[in-house]
Parts: sequence; structure tokens; C-alpha cells
Amino acid sequence: MNTILPLLSLAIFPGGLTLLAGGLAYEWADRKLLALFQNRVGPRWFQPLADTVKLLAKEEIIPDRANKFLFTSLPLIALAGGLTAALYVPLAGLRPAYGFSGDLIVTLYLLSLLTLCMGLAGTNTLDRFSMIGATRTLTQVFSYEAPFLLALLIPAVTAGSWQIGEIATYAQSHWLVVLQPVGFVVALVGLMGKLEMTPFDAPEAHTEIAAGALTEYSGRGLAFFRLAKAVELVVGLTLVAAIYLGGVSNPLWFLVKTLALLLTLAGIQALLTRLRIDQTVGLWWRYGTILVLLQWLVLILIRRI
Amino acid sequence: MKFGMMFSDISRALFRRPATQKYPYVRQHNPARLRSFLKWNQQACTGCGLCAMDCPANAIHVTILDRKEKRFVFGYRPDQCLFCGQCVESCRQGSLSMVNDNWELAALDKKPFSVYFGETDDITKVLAGEPASGPETPEKA
Amino acid sequence: MATNKEPERFTISIGPQHPALKEPGSFQFTVDGEIVTKAYVRLGYAHRGIEKAAEQRNWIQDLYLLERVCGICSHIHATAYCLAVEELAHVEAPPRAQAIRVLVAELERIHSHFLWIGVSAHEAGFDTLFMYSWRDRETVMDLLERLTGNRVNYSANVLGGVKCDIDAEQTTAILDGLNFLEERARHYFDVLTNDSMFLQRTRGIAVMSRNQAEVMGAIGPTARASNVARDVRIESPYAAYTQYPIKMALDTRGDLEARFVVRVNELFESFRLIRQILATLPEGELTARMPRRVPAGEVVKRVEAPRGELYYFIKSNGTDKPERLKVRTPTICNMTSVIKLAVGHQLADVPMILAGIDPCFSCNDRTVELTDTDRKTSNIMTWEELRRYGIKFYEARK
Repeated sequence: MNTILPLLSLAIFPGGLTLLAGGLAYEWADRKLLALFQNRVGPRWFQPLADTVKLLAKEEIIPDRANKFLFTSLPLIALAGGLTAALYVPLAGLRPAYGFSGDLIVTLYLLSLLTLCMGLAGTNTLDRFSMIGATRTLTQVFSYEAPFLLALLIPAVTAGSWQIGEIATYAQSHWLVVLQPVGFVVALVGLMGKLEMTPFDAPEAHTEIAAGALTEYSGRGLAFFRLAKAVELVVGLTLVAAIYLGGVSNPLWFLVKTLALLLTLAGIQALLTRLRIDQTVGLWWRYGTILVLLQWLVLILIRRI
Repeated sequence: MKFGMMFSDISRALFRRPATQKYPYVRQHNPARLRSFLKWNQQACTGCGLCAMDCPANAIHVTILDRKEKRFVFGYRPDQCLFCGQCVESCRQGSLSMVNDNWELAALDKKPFSVYFGETDDITKVLAGEPASGPETPEKA
Repeated sequence: MATNKEPERFTISIGPQHPALKEPGSFQFTVDGEIVTKAYVRLGYAHRGIEKAAEQRNWIQDLYLLERVCGICSHIHATAYCLAVEELAHVEAPPRAQAIRVLVAELERIHSHFLWIGVSAHEAGFDTLFMYSWRDRETVMDLLERLTGNRVNYSANVLGGVKCDIDAEQTTAILDGLNFLEERARHYFDVLTNDSMFLQRTRGIAVMSRNQAEVMGAIGPTARASNVARDVRIESPYAAYTQYPIKMALDTRGDLEARFVVRVNELFESFRLIRQILATLPEGELTARMPRRVPAGEVVKRVEAPRGELYYFIKSNGTDKPERLKVRTPTICNMTSVIKLAVGHQLADVPMILAGIDPCFSCNDRTVELTDTDRKTSNIMTWEELRRYGIKFYEARK
């Protein structure tokens, strides 16, 4: 009995299958909202599921000079990273059962592991588009990682804990989006950078470099990378919603807050144009860092007073 | 520094119907001048063959069985047809026109794409390959 | 994958198959990190042998063949051909027909520029502008369908005049559509010149000075954005442009933003011109009688396509088929500017630079010039020589 419940929660709900299904659903919601903003119809609800099923059924072509082991295992590591990161965030409004002190850092680095796997996959493939895409992916990780982490640490310091579950509980009584708006903005924009959403989709700029780092992937590998991205979407949204939007105390609030956040993200995606990679880096290392350091300053001053 | 200047568009779009036409569940009306399938008036035709000569796609082939009795068989290939309307212009008798509502011409085999206008037994004769009794326009490959 | 001797230099090939290109064309950019160091273009992927095919068809059939050289410039190709053949036959199309030709040509220009705004925005990653401008383009396509009977390849022209007439209902519909389009064009002008993020991708990029534009032979809106004041509709007016003159849209900066500004200003001019034509359309018939056998002679006709100067050379030998037909389209003149300007820019700017000239690859490919790289000679082969060469080549390969 003791082992069945955790197994079920890991494999079915809220982790495992539900998380994958939720990832696909959120991916659909993102695409549908973007389509509505652009005054068109958008995909039907089963489109991401159909894409995944189709990709799983297709032949996987491994380029000649790529390292076979890396080529086939990197998608799995990426998906594993995404799924593991979900263990520590309050998915579906339930308290994270496996949280421990310091799991904020672990979650963020598991999400970065995902992006790093994509970058590595691009470098491994030895194709010109993939290598440029991989370079851009890794450059982008280096640029938004620091401000994003700092923006998520400010609530941690405010709440006095490095465990996401405890920060979320603290946030339920203190709406940090109101108290620390600058931090919220940086966290939101950082989330867009992590998820490679316009304006930060230079690594995947299909009008310049076909599909970026994942150009040579097809079949199973591509399906797993796409699933990993979908899971990353859910985990990222939950993280920012739990920390900044007043915690997620039950499944209903979880849905409402994450979907509201997704609406905002889709709106920003529709509104802005893609930045060049040097402009992205410039933006982050100038404005992003300054803003978050400003927020830190405010925090320190308040604590002193 | 103005950001997001398309904001008015996207915020209005949330409350509007999508601009996409949901074909085939919704069809917009066909404009009056839309050029789709060809229509031939046998009584006005004189069998001059100008339409066949001027067709850029060689989609028309007129077989004349008896010019005086107006026994013509008008062969038309909608899959070759460009729907340009030159045949309508070239015909001095005004026997050709293009309808505006038969433009969904996709089919699963080639049979709908060889159309013959005329009297039924004339068409059977032509399809059976009987030699024509009068001058006919040369078949272009 | 092609890497040169230095391991950090890559050759990125955009095309012939690439998400950035709507039509095939092969561009090879040697990049050092993200900066382009060399550029090379190879065209010819959309060559269909139209000029040769035109010699096998009679004058009337050729009109429709030449309309299909390009999808977006189709009417202007047909107009140039009609004007040229009418000049050879010493026939003057009636004034009402010429005015309607200009009207459809300006509607086509509106169509082409809206399409281009969308495509360039898409190359920059601004998909929302792409979707909205293409939604608005549907309006002008519906207007053209209502007027001429088809959304693309309008077939409005016949030798000697036009096929379609304009009545009061058409006029109202066109004016309503134009009001909507003008309001949208003003909004896009606002967005294109003021949105800071989009300006980051267009301002100061691919600057072409006037001297460079003249040396490289750039024409059309690409050159007018660099202060080269050439427009065929003003220099040598054809069809009804003498009665309905047009103002030139010029810009002095020469960068990508200037090209946007010039094309949107041309849109405003087109709106004004169409309204003027509709208000003062001359009465009369629609066609003039054209002989089936065009008298012998040679003629060159220049018109202003949405992309620049288009010219036709037609030689007739008195029969009912042309002897030689040569089409020189504007995109091939602007291609050099892409190659020269891309060097030194970032790879992310390259699709925008390419989109900035409004490339139309299917217009591009006319004659094929063969360069013998061993002997460093180049010659123009006739079809018979090419056929014999091809046979020898494949025999030798076996």
C-alpha cells in the first residue's frame, strides 16, 4: 500500500501520464490562443496529440556522422529532466510530495538540463543549421539564466526558504506580483526565454536556420523533444504562478492561474517580433540584469528598515 | 520607444470571430463573373473552331458530323482548361459562356475530365471512332 | 555539409529548399560565427522555357502563357505584352480599356505590396503582422475576383482591350474595399515605422547608397528607397498613365525601413489613383479589332511591375506566331544588391535583406547562360546546340 500510492502518483496523476497529457493540452492552448490573437482559427484540440502519435510512428533517421548513442539518448534525458523537475512544483495544486530544502535550484537546473540537451543534440548532429541553432540555444541559456534565477530567488529570500512548496505556501498570503512587480516582469520574460517563445525564438528561427538545433531529428527523437518542451511549459508556468501569482492551493486555482499566465504569454508572443541573438543577449545582460538587481536592492533596503 | 503597436489588433481579435472561412462547412457566394465550367450552346455554334484554335491549353476539340444540321460534338477537357475565358471572347456567335458555380472539380479518377457536349448518339458515334463526314479541327496532343 | 579549410567557417545554404524561400533559388552564405563573409547565388530553378514555348503558340494563346510567368505580377506581364503587340499591329486600344488596364494594374500593385508586407514580416519573425496583412489582402483579391473573375491570373486583358467592364455596383464595391484597405495601410505604416522591436530589425540594416544602387542596377522600389528617382510610369507613361499621372514615392535612407516606407507610400498613391480613375472613367467600347496576323517588326515595351521595371522585346515576322519574345523582369536586376549587401551583416538579417527586394523567382529565370569553368568562357547556346551537348554529356557519363 505504501509503495502503490507513490507509484501511481508518479506514473499517472499528477506526474507521468497526466503531466504528459497536460503538457499537450497546454501546448494546444498556447497555439490556439496565439491563433485567436492573430484572428485565425488555430488547431483542434487533438492536434499536439496527433503530432506526437504521428512522430512516434515515423522512421527515425540518424545522420551519418552523429554519435548514435548521444543522438538517441539525448531526447530521453531531456524528457526525464522535464518530468523530474515536475516533482518539486505544486502540480495541479497539490503540495509537492518530494520537496526538500534547495529544490528551487534543482528544478531550475533540471529545466536547464532540458535546454542543454537540445543544444548538445544540435552540436552532435554536425549539420550546419543544427550547429548554428545549437550555438544560439546555448548562448540564450547563458544570457537569461542569471536574471531568471535571481528573479525567482527574490521570493525565496522573502519567504525565508529555498523549497518551492514553502514559497508557494508563503505566497498564498502575500501576492508577490503586487509586492515585487519588477521581479515578476523579469521572471515572466525569463520564462519566455526559457521556453523559446517569440521574441526569444532565435534558436529556432525557421526562416533562417530551418529548425535550429533539432533540424535533423525525426520520428521518436523529435517526439520526445517536443514532449519535453510541452512538459517544460507546464512546469515553468506552475513555477511562476505558484511563486508570484499567490500560490496554487487547489486544482481550480492552478488551472485559472496557469491559464491566465498562458494568456499573457500568448499575447506577448503575438505582439512582438523575433529578436536577433545578439539583440537578445544585449537585452538580457543590460535591462534584465539591471531590473532584477534593482528589485534586489529594494528587497535589501526593505529588510534593513 | 513604442512597443507592441499591434496591441489594438490582437486585443480586438479575441472578441471577434476568426477571419478564416470555414470551408467546406461554410461557402461564400460565388461572384457573378467567376469563371468556372464551360457551357456550350449548340444552336448558336457554327463549327468554326476558333475557340479550339485560340485555347492556350488545347482543352477544346470540336468534331463536326454535319455542319448544316449543326451536329457537332464539343469535346472539353476541364483538367486542361485554364478558365481564362478566351474561347468565350473568340466565339463570334456567343455560343460559349462560363458558369460561375461549378469550380469544385476535384475527382478521384480521370473520367470526369473528358466532357462531351452534343446529341447523345452523336457523342456515341464520335467516341466509337467513326470517321467524321466533314472537316474537323485537328486534334492537338 | 560543406566546410572550407578554416574550421570556423560554414557555408549556410538557403535554398533551393528552405523555409525562408517561397520559390526555389540557391543562396550560399559563408558565415564566420554569425557574420556573413561571402555570398553566392544560383538561380534557374523555376526556368520553364516560356520564351521558347511562346514561339510555338499563336499571339492569342501567348497572352495567357505570359500571364503565368508570375502569379503576383500576372496582369502587368499581360499588359506589357498587349501593349507591345498592339503597337506592332498599329492598333490603339480604346481609352476606356486603357483606363481599366491601369485600374487592374494598380489593384494588383496593392495586392502585391500587401503580400510583401506579410512575407517580410514573416521573415523577421513578426507573424502577427503577416497574418493580418494577408487577411487584408483577401479583400483586394475578392475585389479582383468580382471585377475580373479570378483571384490570381486575372485574364482581364485581351489583345486590343479588356474583357471586363466596370458598372456602378463594381465601383461601389471597389471604393468600399479601398476605404478598408487604406485604413489598414495607415495602421501598418504606423506599426512599421514606430514599433521599436521591428525597427531594431529594419532600421540601418542593408543600407544601399544611391551610388551603389545605380552601379548595381537596382530598380523599382528597392532603388527608389535609395533615392534613385526612376519610375517607368512617370518617365515613359504607358496605357492611361498620361491621363492619370502618378507621384513618385522616394526615400533617401536606403535601408530596409526605407523600402517598407516606399512601398506603403506607393500603396497610398495606388488608392488615390484608383479613386481618380473610378470617378472619371472614359466612356467607350472595350476592345479594338486586332488582326490575327501581326505585321512584321520589332518592339520594346517597358512597364512598371510592382517590383520594378519590366520590359518585353517582341519580334514578329508577319505570321500568327511570334518569332522571338524576350522578357526581362525586375528581380534579376535587384539580385546583385542582395549578394553585395549581405556581406558583413548577421545571418539573421539575411532573410530580411532577401525579402527587401521583393524577390519573385519565377519571374527571374529566362535565358540560361552557360559558363565553362575550365576554359573560363561563357556563351549562349541555341536550343539545337544545347540538345546536342546534352546528348554528348550523357553519353559520356554512361
